[in-house]
Amino acid sequence: MNIESRKKALRFLFEPIVSKLGYKFTPSQDDEDFLLEQEALIEAETGIPYCPCQARSKNRDENMRMVCPCIPFHLAHYDAMRRCWCGLFVHKNVTDPDKLPQFPESQTESRKSGPQRGIHHRGAEEDESRMSRRRGLSMLAHPPL
Amino acid sequence: MKKITIYALSTCLWCKKTKKYFEEKGLKFDCVDYDKQDEARQKALMAEMRAGGGTGSFPFIKIDNACTQGYNPEEFENLLRKK
Repeated sequence: MNIESRKKALRFLFEPIVSKLGYKFTPSQDDEDFLLEQEALIEAETGIPYCPCQARSKNRDENMRMVCPCIPFHLAHYDAMRRCWCGLFVHKNVTDPDKLPQFPESQTESRKSGPQRGIHHRGAEEDESRMSRRRGLSMLAHPPL
Repeated sequence: MKKITIYALSTCLWCKKTKKYFEEKGLKFDCVDYDKQDEARQKALMAEMRAGGGTGSFPFIKIDNACTQGYNPEEFENLLRKK
């Protein structure tokens, strides 16, 4: 399979998973294209579409935490940033991903409150998104047979 | 002038944006692509990053003796101003 068709396949595979977690692909088409390409290339090399912005080690458990989409393994951190680490996915209510800060996991608690930029608030729609995320997480933990 | 070092991955979008940020500021920096190094060098680089609070996520930026992880222009400015 060539890289372009694999990028399309990864997009097709990831979209329903991240949607259930309350995320969507970044609105930046250039960023999405670059990141999916890197993942397709990493997958061609290693067999697994790892995050292109995290270093792999020889520890399998650590590596599994960076298989895309790695949102469930870093939920509190990514929710505080409103994006995943590499930026391929952003919260559904984010309209301007360039305004979202990228900060280390250790700052998650201190950054949880306060105004957040790059976000369009939508009240009830956001509540529905949270409910959908809970359903999505439940499904990931207990996939249907 | 402060010494700036960017620890990057060649596959990382935000590492590229970090390099571009410092280039546009006209600031000189050293950059090392972690994934392009041999195993021994990677081990040494990871030890350096962990000593500065890094977790293996990139970019990791060292400005003199201060470190930060992630593309965050506000934080870069703070570290550049720091005396």
